[in-house]
Amino acid sequence: MSCQGKTTICEYRAAGKTQIATSRYVELPMQKYTLVITEKPDAARRIAVALDRNHKPAKMSLSGVPYYAAQRDRRIVVVPALGHLYTVVGETNKRDFYPVFSFKWMPRFMAERGAARIRIWLDSISRLAKGADSFVDACDYDVEGSIIGYSIMRYACGNKEHLSKRMKYSTLTEEELEKSYAELLPNLDFGQVEAGKARHEVDWLFGINISRALTIAARNVSGRYEMLSTGRVQGPVLMFLGAREASIKCFVPTPYWEMRARVEINGRTYEVEHERTIETKKEAETLFNECLKKTGCVEKVASAEYLQSPPFPFDLGTLQNEAYRLFRYTPKRTMDIAQRLYLDALISYPRTSSQKLPPTINYRAILLNLNRFQSYKSLTAELLALPDLKPREGAKDDPAHPAIYPTGRMPERTLTMSEEKVLDLVIRRFMAIFSLPAVIQIMKARIKVGSHMFQLTGRKTLTAGWQKFYKPYVHTEEVLLPPLHEEEKVKVRKVLMLAKFTQPPNRYNPASLLRKMEEVNIGTKSTRAEILQILYDRKYVKNERIEMTDLGFEVLETLKDYCPAIVSVKLTRELEEKMESIQAGRETRENVLEDAVNVLKPALEQLRINEKSVGERLSSTTVKAKLEEKIVGSCPTCKTGRLIILRSKKTGKQFIGCSNYFKGRCNTSFALPQKSHVSATGKKCKCCGWPTVQVRARGKHMWELCFNAECPAKKRRKQVGMQGVPQTG
Amino acid sequence: MECKVCRKQAERLGYCKLHAEAYQSIIENYSVWKKALGVSWKEYLSEVIKNSLTGEWAKEVAEHLAKEGDKNNVKIY
Repeated sequence: MSCQGKTTICEYRAAGKTQIATSRYVELPMQKYTLVITEKPDAARRIAVALDRNHKPAKMSLSGVPYYAAQRDRRIVVVPALGHLYTVVGETNKRDFYPVFSFKWMPRFMAERGAARIRIWLDSISRLAKGADSFVDACDYDVEGSIIGYSIMRYACGNKEHLSKRMKYSTLTEEELEKSYAELLPNLDFGQVEAGKARHEVDWLFGINISRALTIAARNVSGRYEMLSTGRVQGPVLMFLGAREASIKCFVPTPYWEMRARVEINGRTYEVEHERTIETKKEAETLFNECLKKTGCVEKVASAEYLQSPPFPFDLGTLQNEAYRLFRYTPKRTMDIAQRLYLDALISYPRTSSQKLPPTINYRAILLNLNRFQSYKSLTAELLALPDLKPREGAKDDPAHPAIYPTGRMPERTLTMSEEKVLDLVIRRFMAIFSLPAVIQIMKARIKVGSHMFQLTGRKTLTAGWQKFYKPYVHTEEVLLPPLHEEEKVKVRKVLMLAKFTQPPNRYNPASLLRKMEEVNIGTKSTRAEILQILYDRKYVKNERIEMTDLGFEVLETLKDYCPAIVSVKLTRELEEKMESIQAGRETRENVLEDAVNVLKPALEQLRINEKSVGERLSSTTVKAKLEEKIVGSCPTCKTGRLIILRSKKTGKQFIGCSNYFKGRCNTSFALPQKSHVSATGKKCKCCGWPTVQVRARGKHMWELCFNAECPAKKRRKQVGMQGVPQTG
Repeated sequence: MECKVCRKQAERLGYCKLHAEAYQSIIENYSVWKKALGVSWKEYLSEVIKNSLTGEWAKEVAEHLAKEGDKNNVKIY
């Protein structure tokens, strides 16, 4: 027994005073145990509870790192990781040069600031590994989980990667975890491990090299350090954001006309549309005049019924899309909520591309569990009465996990409003997929006014089918038409000539951008939402309806001009496909890395040759972008200047001043809170309409400030303070 | 040569790459406007400038073309 093993005894004993029956665990290090590694602390607790024969494992701690001791046929110690504990770093510590093609895997605390806790974590896992004689990797069964488990087994546990077994599960329910432990996979999934390693290494190679090339070029010209970055997937994403932005900014609307008429049928008024749009004003006016004071005649009535199939089960992308459509949650927020619901064993593993639900998940048992909830009682009862439960499935599949489904368990804690909404969405979708198609009737009537044909369209749901289960998340607009007969005369009450303009293309929103990335197959289901966040953080894009900034454009144009391969969707997709092939064993990591270096080398060479012009372009844009950030709004005094957040050279204090001050035209200024970070919000005060700023001070909540001393809201607050009585209005 | 609108490096027709694209869009759409409303080039530019749906770069180029037309008394189309 090693010295570290003895420390473990002490730790167990110390913890035993409060947490466990000492007699059960005091001799633990004498007997070897199975060490189970999980990805997150919450998962460790659930796995330990499931594996302990009494479902009451002891919670222990080693240097502040929590772990669980469980008793089954033998002793089991379950210790969590904190996500990735290892990362890719360059061979040398030099930061000021490129290209860099040599790298190694290192603990995160050695590569990142603020990751000191990882050192203690790894040390504790290493100490626990010394007392173990068998190892189980219970991290999430996907590429990221596999690499987390592998690197811990290899580096922290001392080359145990080939001895380790693998737990594979899709929900954190006790039944599935016990089953998974009873049927352990004999090895780690080395295909997933290799694919994960390749992805991290390729991403590191692209990110570090291109970012350094851009940053160094800009710094050499401006003399100031300003981080400019791009990555393997960021580049192509910028590319299609840029293309959309350019088509919006170059858009010239063109006029057209629409003709409508209000007709009276059985005492009710209906709006009918002319069957085509009209291109010239002259034609529109002629048509309008020809329809005036005419009676309509029903020429043809036709109706058709069609079946609207239930939706597919949720994969991560469709869940993120639906949550954005219904609740305006960003894909990242939905991902985080889904992850929390998964860790609470309320839904299955959310990082899945599958739209399939195998019968092994036991549909009936899940519906029976859901039947205990009052709000789903009648709906589940209806489904449970069906002789056969057959889900509607989509084409997409994922060998590692099924589509997202609810476990039917009761929440053990009070869920937040957003968690409740996403859980309800998953549950209702799950019920809907077992239901029958909806039957919709479409009715069309052609009405002749003068010599012109108008159309009236009605829509009626004959059988709600799955829509009943997916309420309130499905919205159908019913347009009920009266019974109409051919040759029937209708009274035209009004003719409308609407002058319209063509619309520019829609901007991407977080959900549609994610769909686009999925469509062109770049990024992974787990990383797509993060990539968008990086673009926001780097200030390449802004607003919910994604708008590209000048800085984003300049980075994109620079990359397009000097190294088009970096922003090529085609090349990125090819690389992506090769990485997927590694998992299937059709490609090797070494080949993929070589391909990546072959793409990077000429690109970096071009950036180096054109460093001066690249630097000039980027530095002028970063300076402009910095200045834009400081502009709060237009000056309310002189109306021509702009209010800017400035710092006095004399006193060092920050304040807001008018840009016309430098021209000697306006000396408007406003005081700001000191020792805080102040930034423009782009919003106006609801009370006085002045621009507002956001103030962030250490140890305080962020707040929005209206700097207008005469703002009615401020006066009201003052009055309340003086009188001590709140006022309304 | 500098772009007539933003003073970046001009690539074609005296405009940078992005403003050249906007210029192209203005030229292409004139025929649609002319057919629809029978407007002159000058009227077209003024309509495009005041339309809220016009893109930022297209507006900048239209403003430049309108000014240039006034200054040089150039008759286009």
